[in-house]
Amino acid sequence: MPQLNLVYRQREAGDHLRDLSDYRRAGGYEALRTAVTTMEPDEVTYSLVRSGLRGRGGAGFPAGRKASFLPKDAALPSYVVCNADESEPGTFKDREIMEDNPFQLLEGIAIAGYAIGAKRGYIYIRGEYEHQALVLDDALRAARQAGFLGRDIFGTGFTFDITLYRGAGAYICGEETALLESLEGKRGQPRLKPPFPAVAGLYASPTLINNVETLSAIPPIVERGADWYAGIGGAEKSPGTKIFSVSGHVMRPGNYEIVLHQTTLRELVYDMAGGFRPGHDFKACWVGGSSVPVIGAESLDTPLDYESLNGVGTFLGSAGCIVMDDSGCIVRACLRLAHFYNHESCGKCSPCREGTSWLEKILQRMVDGDGRMEDLDLLEGLFGRISGRTLCALADGAVMPVRSAIALFRDDFVRVIENGSPRPEPMMEVAVHG
Amino acid sequence: MADYAPVDLSAGDQVEFELNGVRVSVPAGTLLVDAANAHGVEVPVFCYEPRLGPPVGACRMCLVEVEGMRGLQTACSTPVQPDMVVRTNSPVAKDAQDGVLELLLANHPLDCPVCDKGGECPLQDRTFRFGPGRSRFVEPKRHFPKPLDLSPRVALDRERCIACYRCVRFSQDVAEDGCLTMQERGALSEITTLTGEPYEGRFTGNIIDICPVGALTSIPYRFVSRPWDIDNTPSVCGGCAAGCNVELTVREGHIMRVTGRPDPNWEVEEGWICDRARWSYDADRAPSRLTAPVIREGERVQQPDLDAAVDAAALVLANTGRVGVLIGPDATVEEAFAATELAHTGLGGAPVQALTIDGAGLAPLRALPTAQLGDLDHAQTLLIVGGDPANQQPAVELRARKARRRGAHVITVGPRPHALESLGESHRSQPGALRAALEGLGDVGEGSLAICWDEADLAQEPDAAAVLARIGREREAISLEMGHGANAAGLRALGIPSTGLREQIAAGEIDCLLTVHADPTAAPGAAEWGWALGRVRHIVAVATHDDQVTERATVVLPAATHRETEGVMVAMNGRAQRLRAGATPPEGAAPGWELLIALGHRLGTPPPYRTAATAFAAASAAHAALGALTHDDLGTLGRPLPQTPVAGNGHVPDPVGFSGDGLPLVTVTRIFGERASHRSQALAEARTGADITLHPDEAARHGLPAGARVRLRTAHGECELPLVIDPDQPQGAALVATGVPDAGVERLLPADRTPVRVEITPA
Amino acid sequence: MTADEIRAHIDPMRHEFAEERSLVLPALKFAQTEKGYLSTEDLRAVAEAVHLTPAYVESVASFYDRLYLEPVGRRVVSVCVTLSCMLRGSDEVMEHLCHREGLGHHGGTSEDGVITVQEAQCLGYCDAAPCIQVDADQTRGPFTVEQAGELLDELRDAPVPTRYVR
Ligand SMILES: Cc1cc2nc3c(=O)[nH]c(=O)nc-3n(C[C@H](O)[C@H](O)[C@H](O)COP(=O)(O)O)c2cc1C
Ligand code: SF4
Ligand code: FES
Repeated sequence: MPQLNLVYRQREAGDHLRDLSDYRRAGGYEALRTAVTTMEPDEVTYSLVRSGLRGRGGAGFPAGRKASFLPKDAALPSYVVCNADESEPGTFKDREIMEDNPFQLLEGIAIAGYAIGAKRGYIYIRGEYEHQALVLDDALRAARQAGFLGRDIFGTGFTFDITLYRGAGAYICGEETALLESLEGKRGQPRLKPPFPAVAGLYASPTLINNVETLSAIPPIVERGADWYAGIGGAEKSPGTKIFSVSGHVMRPGNYEIVLHQTTLRELVYDMAGGFRPGHDFKACWVGGSSVPVIGAESLDTPLDYESLNGVGTFLGSAGCIVMDDSGCIVRACLRLAHFYNHESCGKCSPCREGTSWLEKILQRMVDGDGRMEDLDLLEGLFGRISGRTLCALADGAVMPVRSAIALFRDDFVRVIENGSPRPEPMMEVAVHG
Repeated sequence: MADYAPVDLSAGDQVEFELNGVRVSVPAGTLLVDAANAHGVEVPVFCYEPRLGPPVGACRMCLVEVEGMRGLQTACSTPVQPDMVVRTNSPVAKDAQDGVLELLLANHPLDCPVCDKGGECPLQDRTFRFGPGRSRFVEPKRHFPKPLDLSPRVALDRERCIACYRCVRFSQDVAEDGCLTMQERGALSEITTLTGEPYEGRFTGNIIDICPVGALTSIPYRFVSRPWDIDNTPSVCGGCAAGCNVELTVREGHIMRVTGRPDPNWEVEEGWICDRARWSYDADRAPSRLTAPVIREGERVQQPDLDAAVDAAALVLANTGRVGVLIGPDATVEEAFAATELAHTGLGGAPVQALTIDGAGLAPLRALPTAQLGDLDHAQTLLIVGGDPANQQPAVELRARKARRRGAHVITVGPRPHALESLGESHRSQPGALRAALEGLGDVGEGSLAICWDEADLAQEPDAAAVLARIGREREAISLEMGHGANAAGLRALGIPSTGLREQIAAGEIDCLLTVHADPTAAPGAAEWGWALGRVRHIVAVATHDDQVTERATVVLPAATHRETEGVMVAMNGRAQRLRAGATPPEGAAPGWELLIALGHRLGTPPPYRTAATAFAAASAAHAALGALTHDDLGTLGRPLPQTPVAGNGHVPDPVGFSGDGLPLVTVTRIFGERASHRSQALAEARTGADITLHPDEAARHGLPAGARVRLRTAHGECELPLVIDPDQPQGAALVATGVPDAGVERLLPADRTPVRVEITPA
Repeated sequence: MTADEIRAHIDPMRHEFAEERSLVLPALKFAQTEKGYLSTEDLRAVAEAVHLTPAYVESVASFYDRLYLEPVGRRVVSVCVTLSCMLRGSDEVMEHLCHREGLGHHGGTSEDGVITVQEAQCLGYCDAAPCIQVDADQTRGPFTVEQAGELLDELRDAPVPTRYVR
């Protein structure tokens, strides 16, 4: 992470930490030692609660609270599952963590396992991340060899191992219950909730599911204390740092670890990601991945944290910040996203299966020049009939970016309906990595 | 289709809640959909089906408003909580229902006028009551080439499918055949089997009943009738001893279709029926169906009208010396009762025998408390002894699978491989050594025990029966007899013996035989019976189809099938249930009980009853085992007969040894390898024939290659069969398929059904 | 692939899962490494190895984009077309590759059977937009239209893979 290595360790040179010895030199595995040799499992959970760490997978649910929901005296074994399906459009932060800093994730999973009394953890990694999976394979092997996984870790009797499970290409498997279904060898379709995974998850056992970034944040919290983490940033409900993946029409797309609340969207887009090509400027941005309402230039000075973003009508989500400049066509962007959700809808529940497919058809018609003014009302009606009525949040994610775009950029839609939409020139200069 | 689960509003432990402004109560834990339904409020559903296991909440049709809960809730998955405030008809809830329908209809072809489901379609229905007045969908609809045959009996129209997952869940979670699946995902999702394979199984047709749209339809029923010109009659299958309740769809006197009951009998089949029950009805119109009476005088064959034939039959019976009466296991209680009455009065005390299993050794098992099929749901351990329920009493298979899904430990013990062996712990017994296998079980699972035992196998091994009964008594088990013969238990209730007549014929004591739905040449002892039939001078046959008996009979009186007559059949576990005449018999045929009453009149002993109902009342007055029940008492769901336990003394009799030389013969039966399936056109592709199956080593020892035709010989008779070699079969036994018409396998078996060995040589 | 080969691959990991069914994805992925797609025979072999019905296995396989039930090219080239890559010219790249290989709009397999071009949903390399993934393990970008064409040439010349990781 080029901007800050506060939480996500980097070697001094800023290079990767793929060797266990490098990771150890950077202080790795001290947190696990501290946890298993000096703390009760509940203390670890409590420390997570106090740290204020929130889930980084999208929903932002307090990580410690989630861990505390697991029943203490369940008859079945508990599991930790790491959600490494990272398929949210515009999001590539987990990829970088796994690729460059795999041990911090493994250490975080082991600590989480210790906290909830699990003996096994799973990393469910998207099938397209085969390269990252190979890195993790190596890391797992090294960690086992060094005794950081397996029996009797640090001589404490704590036994824990991790299985890496490769997906095979399905966005929905990032949804936690779909992920569990997939991991159980079924079609990756979400389950009804309740019961929540904390009560009945993998193999109907108590299961803690967290995102890669969430779990990777655990070792520093254990090592440096919950208070340290809670004090970063200064937003009461959004402490800590967060990696934003910035992409789209910016000059320096990439991952940026920022301090929540202390950085504004403008700083992220212009200062860190390098702003725009000469002659172009900010038009719109889906700040939390594609499944959130789009925001315009008027929101650029919003501090990046959960509450402030809610305040401007969007979500921090997975912090996959997709930025579009004024060369882009908002209707085409919406169509592209609608296509994504239609392609990825699992098909289990009817409003999503039929609704996302209808949504794409309507937008396609608009882009093809066959739009009708009444389509805007039709779309609004359709959104109402999908959102909040489906089994999982995929469909809401399909609705929000488009619904907000119509609200915010209605004129653009009207123009496309009236005149069609010529395909804009893409930004094809080779990106400058920074 | 059972859209909602029954709710017992009188059960204890009720919770109160508010439903559309009215305070009501239901048992704690009831799901909102069911609770609402019990109080007359319909919450529309598509994916919910209480028989398919836990709700999946996929279709989102049942969204309702629950005060204090964020967003709308799926009523199918939300249990009622005390004081919950639920609105199923608020503007938001109605918009949700309307919205789901609009979306479901977006890609639905709306070809109702040409759809078999039209008029009885939940989608059509709910659209009318809950749905959109208009569709705003102007895009091209999803298109599939149509329709597709999932099997020779089930057609799939993918365009009509609303992806409710009911059929897939039936295949995966009820029949557990795992063959019908959803493939692809999202809007491309489609129902299919493994590419290129048909959906074959024992229960496939149930997916037609549960499909809430016209996506899955019955090929034999395709375009046959429209819902407004049919009548539906609740009846009983009559295909085996399980006694599944069915519904007969009738038009102009003909059966058009058989389906599971829309209001299932939860104690019996829960609305699931096997494919034989569903599709063998066309056997009633098979070429071998008797449609006109026959009188044979030497070489001359006449086809008089029914009245004249009854006259002739009465003459024959009155004037041919000593008469014997043989009753088949499918005869109804009324038919069997009228026949025995006739024997006692008009025929001057003629001996009567039923073609049923002699269950002398089964008394201790029959003294155990009898279970209804529904009771298996609550068993913690299920012990299945002998038999092959999947093929013989298919309803038991589904109940056993359900019990296992609910956590029961399933133990099977028996001499032949069968489908339920894979449900849990399986112990294959050596032929004739069931007792040893039972004694070797040690502890029989834990908790409440239900024993399912095969009538035929345990009758053959009375020592095992005694040991099993002891286990049952010690464990306070409930017992489910897996019987043979649709009304064998009814014949038993009437006190009709299973032996005697053949011996009397053999001794030359019988001159004339009256048969009622009885063809002993298709039953064990076929060879001996064939010989015996040759010894009587005349036969009067009351029968539905042409068979070896009717071909020799002097007078043939064509009878109604069990789909064409009123009557009572007693299922294997003593449940008396009513058949209802859906169809009318052919011109020249009449219900068997009517024919027998007419014979009574002609013979000068007119019985005091004229209808099936009064005949049953008379039977029930005369036989305490029928519990003084009447047709009215039985209603549409039937009633268990009172049990009259015979206290056993715990004595374990000696085993009955195998007779003859060669390999022990173990009979097997296949669901589509029996009479009804072989008469049915609809089941033509599913039919199986007779064969002998050997373990490869056994075949090698006999020098027999696979596919060879082999000659089988016992002390009783012989036949030729093709050989199947299968490494999953036990060694030291010859597995021979019985029940196949005209295969002659029954000739190998003795009439007393004792175990035999068989010699096998190349044919 | 045979059930025995699949068993040999999955047996060492059996103990990692409380239910055997979990092995279906690893088994399918492994079976696919042989030919780069799954034939009905492969599905049957997987079914046998994990004790499920072939229909069930096919139903699972068909759910995932990266399990192929029809033959595909020696190399599968996935062009990400989701928003970030679209803004950076993925449509132009996709069109160029399809045109070059004589394929329809949404891709397909080249006549010589070497290259399959397909659209992919966000590959998680938006910082390298427009990005292209070859099979499942090499993802790169950004590509210009010309560079993308050259990539296909390189792939054509590259040795035939010994196993296919899709
Ligand atoms: C359609 C959909 C896709 C999702 N994809 C991902 C994903 O790729 N990675 C992830 O960590 N969470 C994803 N989530 C969120 C998870 O369901 C879950 O909330 C998360 O893994 C919890 O981890 P956290 O609390 O650490 O954020 C997705 C949710 C939905 C509805
Ligand atoms: S909302 Fe979409 S993805 Fe989620 S369960 Fe329903 S159909 Fe599947
Ligand atoms: S009936 Fe409740 S979601 Fe289908």
